[in-house]
Amino acid sequence: MSGVGEKASGSTKTPADFLKSIRGKPVVVKLNSGVDYRGNLACLDGYMNIAMEQTEEYVNGQLKNKYGDAFIRGNNVLYISTVKMPVADGA
Amino acid sequence: MSGEEDATVREPLDLIRLSLDERIYVKLRSDRELRGKLHAFDQHLNMILGDVEEVVTTVEIDDETYEEIVRTTKRTIQFLFVRGDGVILVSPPLRTAA
Amino acid sequence: MANNNPSQLLPQELIDRCVGSKIWVIMKGDKELVGILKGFDVYINMVLEDVTEYEITAEGRRVTKLDQILLNGNNIAILVPGGGPEDGE
Repeated sequence: MSGVGEKASGSTKTPADFLKSIRGKPVVVKLNSGVDYRGNLACLDGYMNIAMEQTEEYVNGQLKNKYGDAFIRGNNVLYISTVKMPVADGA
Repeated sequence: MSGEEDATVREPLDLIRLSLDERIYVKLRSDRELRGKLHAFDQHLNMILGDVEEVVTTVEIDDETYEEIVRTTKRTIQFLFVRGDGVILVSPPLRTAA
Repeated sequence: MANNNPSQLLPQELIDRCVGSKIWVIMKGDKELVGILKGFDVYINMVLEDVTEYEITAEGRRVTKLDQILLNGNNIAILVPGGGPEDGE
């Protein structure tokens, strides 16, 4: 199941490790369409389906919508990114 | 799937399960949005919705001024099936009845 | 695990050698990313660190810096070990 990531080298972080480490944390989810979702990650599954809380939708960097809870279908996901600061970014 | 009634969100699809018989917001590809009552869904996120309001957003360019004209078209549909592969996002109603 | 067809194993071995170093990812469509590869799985979903994302839009190139990401393997087109578009200059 774990593919090639079986060797126990110290600094490697497989996708599974990453997913474990970001639960409950603020994240940015970028879709293939270019739309960004910022919020707290509630949980996700192997299809990269994502449940988020306090989600903000950004189109071209502009806030377009807010959702209390949001389910994002995994096939649209380009990446899931950690954010250093809590969800507030002036870039 | 487990048939137990459980109010916790362990996997993303639990969020949808907890929205059964509630009005939800669905964002679809090609700038389509739906608001309706969720009657049923499956693991692909195929969904049956009732009392649906569909909003389609289109952007046209004016032939003379080249301005972008954003148009929204609304219609209501009593009962429909949504194919899961077109779904981008689903947002349940706010459940925090504080 | 004795597999006599090396062509099935080799691409993943190649990516495995990139773990810990810089990698340039070119996506289907107008997106590219450069970052340090931390790990990957059978779908070539990748964990990248200190990422620079390049988006080619109608208004020009948009650059975004990211701390750590899980990149969906689904839309990856090309992987270039070593570095990105900026590094050769």
